[in-house]
Amino acid sequence: MSEQRRFGESDYEPLKQDDVLKQAVSEWRDEMPSRDLWSGIQSRMGSTQSPASQTPTTSLTTSRRVSFTLPQLAMAASLLTAVASGATWMIAHPPAAESNEPVIQAYGNPEDETEGKIVQANFADAQFNAAVDDLETILREERDRLDPRTVLIIERNLKAIDDAINEARMALDNDPANPYLNSHLADARRRKLDLLRHATTLASAGGD
Amino acid sequence: MPVDDVVLATQGDTAAFERVYRAHMPRIFNLARRMAGPDAAEELTQDVFVRAWQKLALFRGESSFATWLHRLAVNVIIERFRTLGTQRERFLADSEAVLDVAPAVRTKHMDLSMDLQAAIEQLPPGARQVFVLHDVEGYKHEEIGDMLGVSPGTSKSQLHRARQTLRALLTQKVES
Repeated sequence: MSEQRRFGESDYEPLKQDDVLKQAVSEWRDEMPSRDLWSGIQSRMGSTQSPASQTPTTSLTTSRRVSFTLPQLAMAASLLTAVASGATWMIAHPPAAESNEPVIQAYGNPEDETEGKIVQANFADAQFNAAVDDLETILREERDRLDPRTVLIIERNLKAIDDAINEARMALDNDPANPYLNSHLADARRRKLDLLRHATTLASAGGD
Repeated sequence: MPVDDVVLATQGDTAAFERVYRAHMPRIFNLARRMAGPDAAEELTQDVFVRAWQKLALFRGESSFATWLHRLAVNVIIERFRTLGTQRERFLADSEAVLDVAPAVRTKHMDLSMDLQAAIEQLPPGARQVFVLHDVEGYKHEEIGDMLGVSPGTSKSQLHRARQTLRALLTQKVES
């Protein structure tokens, strides 16, 4: 066996120009399928959700996901917990006079004509759940690519947000039309999606 | 391809997604053909584009769409091998299939493209995937290790074995 071909020398580096394999790869022709594959794809697309129905509307041209550093995420989670506590306090101590502030829609298209109306949070919202499920699946599959300390921080923050969501849900059980709680729940959901998106981006980038 | 088609497809426009498919299908089909063989390539190509349709909402434009789709395709193809339960076992058993020879020299005219196609189909799946991902698609060993769930050292070892086997097979063809 040639010394040059012994593993550990250089045979896992890019192929040299004069290597027969390099020539073979460069001459490896592309082919086309023997049939049109689109009809099969189209029929299967019909049985799956379209991308637009899976997650809240995002646009590649008009909006960009907000990215946070991990310390920012930790701070956001702390802030969220504080807001949750504040919301709970407000339930227990309602303002003497009715607020004139506009009601904030809990979840859905912000361009819907719901001005002046209270829109209750939909706890079984399929879009939100589907988006969270997707992102959590990706995160589970790729969490090994993240530093364990990063995973710990992400999990702590997710738990804090989940706690805030659960608190808001329980409070809304008693007062479904409360605008503060609806707004708070919508905000918590948005934060959860942002955090999951950020975490999956980190994982996809190999934890860089 | 106009980025607008990706944006439109993300919003559920199937006609735009068909244009995306037409633009990217050749590269994805040939990736599947090289990694998994011609018999599985058509079905895998369909799987890749169905998955892409399902996951388009997660594409945020942080890399090019072609890069995103290519990585997704590699994952779908690797998943197929995992589903078949062959990946890890074949990685461990690959060494028996290696032919230990010096590099082939192109001594007479031959259709290298045809020969490589025939030779690569004789590789075990693990070695074949590493060879295609590294020497054809240009991924680094660290990336390949991440994708296949093996260490970079295993990826290097597989590449070494794949190259030796392919050189031996190509040499045999030339000599015969």
